[in-house]
Amino acid sequence: MSFDLSLIAVSLPKILQGLGLTLNLLAVSTLFGLILAVGILLMRLSRRAWLIWPAKAYIYFFRGTPLLVQLFVIYHGLPQFGFIRQSVLWPLLREPYWCSVIALSLNTAAYVSEILRGGVLGVDKGLIEAGKALGLSKFQRTSRITAPLAVRLALPAYSNEIVSMLKSTALASTVTLMEMTGVARTIVADTFAPYEIFIAATIIYLVLVWIIQTGFTLVETYANRHVRKT
Amino acid sequence: MSVLDGWWDDFFFGLMTVLQVFFVALVIAVACGLLGASAKLSKSRILRAIAQAYTVVFRGAPELLVLLLFYFGMAITLTSIVQAFDPSVKFIDLPPFWAGSIAIGLIVGAYMTETFRGAFLGVDRGQIEAARALSLKRHQIFRYVRLPQMWRLALPNFGNHMLSIMKDTALVSIIGLEEILFVAKMANSLIHRPFLLYMTVALIYLAMTTVITFAVGWLEQRANRHLRGAR
Amino acid sequence: MADIIVLEKMNKFYGTYHALKDVDLTIAKGEKVVVCGPSGSGKSTMIRCINRLEEHDSGRIVVGGQELTDDEKKIDLVRREVGMVFQSFNLFPHMTVLENLTLAPRLVRKMATGEAEAIAMKYLTRVRIPDQANKYPSQLSGGQQQRVAIARALCMNPEVMLFDEPTSALDPEMISEVLDVMTDLAREGMTMVCVTHEMGFARSVADRIVFMDQGEIVEVSTPAEFFAAPKSERARTFLGQILAH
Repeated sequence: MSFDLSLIAVSLPKILQGLGLTLNLLAVSTLFGLILAVGILLMRLSRRAWLIWPAKAYIYFFRGTPLLVQLFVIYHGLPQFGFIRQSVLWPLLREPYWCSVIALSLNTAAYVSEILRGGVLGVDKGLIEAGKALGLSKFQRTSRITAPLAVRLALPAYSNEIVSMLKSTALASTVTLMEMTGVARTIVADTFAPYEIFIAATIIYLVLVWIIQTGFTLVETYANRHVRKT
Repeated sequence: MSVLDGWWDDFFFGLMTVLQVFFVALVIAVACGLLGASAKLSKSRILRAIAQAYTVVFRGAPELLVLLLFYFGMAITLTSIVQAFDPSVKFIDLPPFWAGSIAIGLIVGAYMTETFRGAFLGVDRGQIEAARALSLKRHQIFRYVRLPQMWRLALPNFGNHMLSIMKDTALVSIIGLEEILFVAKMANSLIHRPFLLYMTVALIYLAMTTVITFAVGWLEQRANRHLRGAR
Repeated sequence: MADIIVLEKMNKFYGTYHALKDVDLTIAKGEKVVVCGPSGSGKSTMIRCINRLEEHDSGRIVVGGQELTDDEKKIDLVRREVGMVFQSFNLFPHMTVLENLTLAPRLVRKMATGEAEAIAMKYLTRVRIPDQANKYPSQLSGGQQQRVAIARALCMNPEVMLFDEPTSALDPEMISEVLDVMTDLAREGMTMVCVTHEMGFARSVADRIVFMDQGEIVEVSTPAEFFAAPKSERARTFLGQILAH
């Protein structure tokens, strides 16, 4: 066995061909996931049992089962039903890309809604009382006090969730998508040089993680400029 | 669910495999976490750098990639080692069980490193000072003041890491270990009921993660019993 | 009387900040000294140097005949004879009151559990809360917690007790229960160094009052002198502020 450094250099550009799809999956699922998460959060924070209960069940299911299994249920499982194959959604549901986006979005929404809820619950009750005492309406209190502070509190955990999403996109390779891990697996099947190729792919992922974390650090610094010590 | 008749015993053995991977990976993760945390807290710059590299790589790389790297990489390494003694050998792989358990253990160990480190530093400085003022020795402070409270501080994250390990075991089906997702794939190729089969897998995992959640909740309640009267 | 604490030309820096400047102070066995001064004057830093929770940068500190240096053994010897009470109590939250009290006697003095518990109960009785022995700190009021902390220090049978603003974190109605315990202790002849703003306590208990400002000892007087006619302008200003309310 020999470890071939030049093979890493050669394979990097090949694996980078999958970068576009990786980032595409990440961006689209993060966006859909966030929208869905806010909806679930509002249900969860409402005072109506018939809204809270489904939100809790959703979070419980998607956080309690492996993403890979969720992906298989959607990609392999749903076509079992005739009505799915006849539905307007079928052109989407037979595409591995959309199945991956759906699985990733549904999965992350459960985590993100809990992250946001943590932020909301973390807002100092005294500030909300101060808002009440000043005569702000419920909507004003939510939009001017609770939401901005909750977002700031949730940012660190949210950045971790984005990193975790980036890593999860690798699972799309199990449903034939040629994102970075998929490309790497194909090259390994050809060259049978797993160390070099997978390490090359790992390097790219680590750079992406670094970019995400640095970006969020900048956002956090900006968002928390009011507490910065001079 | 009569379509699943004949497959229940396969699911049962698959579940046993899941539990075995879970416990082996958990032991590895705790060991790596304790080693990593001690290295990060040590005075040696080299140890700190190694621990830092470990956590950056294993928390940044996709779990699937680490698993594939371990499985195929170890296969290459083992094969070349064995071929050096016996050239007639064609291919030897690290059993998927061990490749999977070690990979998952190392990944979650990187997260546990941060959890244990945070718990160590999370014990209030004033208490450490009080212990020093009472002239307790360094190891006594660790044993009687830090360690009992680290457990309480680490528990919530520790619970999440256990859930991660449980869910990561599903990945091991990709390298051919016959756990429940693998069983579902096999069964599907014969009875063609993918939704039913994969949903069964999901529900089995849900049951496992529920058990872990309740167990951790119970442990947390026990660990926090001295805070009962907290005002 | 023998000198139990000697500070000579002691200096302490935090980076470039000069926290203690040429501090000289000698405390005799049995003496009760109250240290006061505005916040940031270095009073807490000074008493934290006496049991080496802070390291001094120059000068000498001798406690009970042992000079404090990097020597861990000597630091341990000194800490065994010096009890300390903190502003924020610093009780171990995961141990019951009794466990808090018996920990150091068992580990440091190698005392048997039964003996350590007997001593603990003696001091709990003295601080007037023997009935709380099996509770956890979080189940007690602040005043009770601080009295447990005093008992915990006493269980090591120290020669000297250091108090670092023991009543500053307490609600007003609980301050007197802690001061009463400290006054009892003073009457029994304990050597005490107290950083406190409780001027009533200082007046009735202290043998000497040390006034500090900006890292220096500005004046050392008897309570009678200090309250009637402070020698320095800075002490007058400080007293004016603190007695105004």
